[in-house]
Amino acid sequence: MGILEGKTAFVTGGTGGIGSAICRRFIKEGADVVAADLSENGTATRFIKYDVTSEEVAKGTFEELAKGWNKLDILVNAAGIEIEKTIEDTSLEEWNQSFAVNVTGTFLTSKYALPLLRKSAGASIINFGSYDGFIADPGLAVYCATKGAVHALTKAMACDHGPEGIRVNAICPGYVDTPMLQSFFTGEGSGGDGKSLDELQQAVRDVHPMRTYGTPDDIANLVNWLASDEARYASGQLWVIDGGLSAQVQQMKL
Amino acid sequence: MTRLENKTAVVTGGRQGIGRAIVDAFVREGARVLTCGRGSRPEDLPIAVVWQQTDVASKSDIDDLLVAARSELGEVSILVNNAGVQIEKTVLDTSDEDWDFLMGANAKGLFMACRAFIPHMSVGGSIINIGSISGNTADPGLALYNASKAFVHGLTKSIAVDHGPAVRCNAICPGWIMTGMADAAFELAKDPDAAKQDAMARHPAGRFGQPSDIAVMAVWLASDEAAFATGQLFTIDGGMTAASPLNPGLF
Repeated sequence: MGILEGKTAFVTGGTGGIGSAICRRFIKEGADVVAADLSENGTATRFIKYDVTSEEVAKGTFEELAKGWNKLDILVNAAGIEIEKTIEDTSLEEWNQSFAVNVTGTFLTSKYALPLLRKSAGASIINFGSYDGFIADPGLAVYCATKGAVHALTKAMACDHGPEGIRVNAICPGYVDTPMLQSFFTGEGSGGDGKSLDELQQAVRDVHPMRTYGTPDDIANLVNWLASDEARYASGQLWVIDGGLSAQVQQMKL
Repeated sequence: MTRLENKTAVVTGGRQGIGRAIVDAFVREGARVLTCGRGSRPEDLPIAVVWQQTDVASKSDIDDLLVAARSELGEVSILVNNAGVQIEKTVLDTSDEDWDFLMGANAKGLFMACRAFIPHMSVGGSIINIGSISGNTADPGLALYNASKAFVHGLTKSIAVDHGPAVRCNAICPGWIMTGMADAAFELAKDPDAAKQDAMARHPAGRFGQPSDIAVMAVWLASDEAAFATGQLFTIDGGMTAASPLNPGLF
């Protein structure tokens, strides 16, 4: 028997790199899962076309969901975008779009999910922060800023909705093997010099205390636990999962 | 106008490096200073500075340090706990003797100095402990050093909480400051020059720190301008720890 048996789950960015791994794990653990995303992307899960930046979509989606589900136990706000630029090269439009997806999206989805979450016997919201919300990667200015905002929002939501039985946590991944990471390495700001993740693989591994970077399943493992009733006392926290990367001072080549 | 006029300061570990830079800066700002170290008085120490031979790991030496400070300076308004040692070993390679030597100076010595001086410090006194960025995130192969600096950070907050408002207590957490200790670390590299270049590129400030970069912070924390600053850890590292340790541009 899975540890999410009888639970319902709504995952934004549900067909993306990390989101789809979360959906697969939730299904394996017995949950009834909806993957919400812009495109279906061949997901095995029940799919709902969903734009996190639209209030209308969020409102309509949860009204519709309430017809079939009498409660929502798990909300994962995994939708996110990354722009590989310094503030100088970032246009206002790009800035606003980043905040619209990463921050406003988390706000809107959580806001309209609340009525259904309140009907759960133990609801869990899992937001996506990043270790970049604590320490910066070069050339990712607006991304770092959005993740810092998600961290603060996570604590605020945990305070406000804890008394209603809703736990709120954020997962803060380090380097995880996803299309977004590849995009970071090929982006101009990273210093990766256009090299692919494959070419940079050994160097990336070597800088981690665990000598490896993460997989989407590594992240799904923690999301799964935070979603489960085992985590019933865990709320308002920022869970860094990065293979020990941020435990160390800069790695000098000694 | 000098910022530490009429103040008296005790700085441990003032022979060289960061400690000596703090002694020199305090003298420039008008303080009367006593400093100490395990050896005899350094020849180039300014004549106005009092020297007391002291091993901070020894309780009787700390007692003597307090007596000397009270007779030479009167009430002490500033205590800088800078004396510290570093051992480049992992836990498995560290002996009990290593533990006694390192924790004796960095942890017990700092504790004993605070315990001895706090009752005799003037109201509005300032204790400045030298912590490290290594007390927050680990440097490889410096296990006990890292742990001793985390102790310093914890004790700093405790003293601020327990002994305010009479004294303030803060820690400065230096990054890579060019001292004998940093040179020793680079000497461990396969290619020390390449290692220095690599390390340099990881500093948004574009350079390593100098002891004087830490001394200016110590002056501010010692001065009355910092009257509301207590219980905090102030990192000065040229921006290094603001960035991720993974920097693909340096692979």
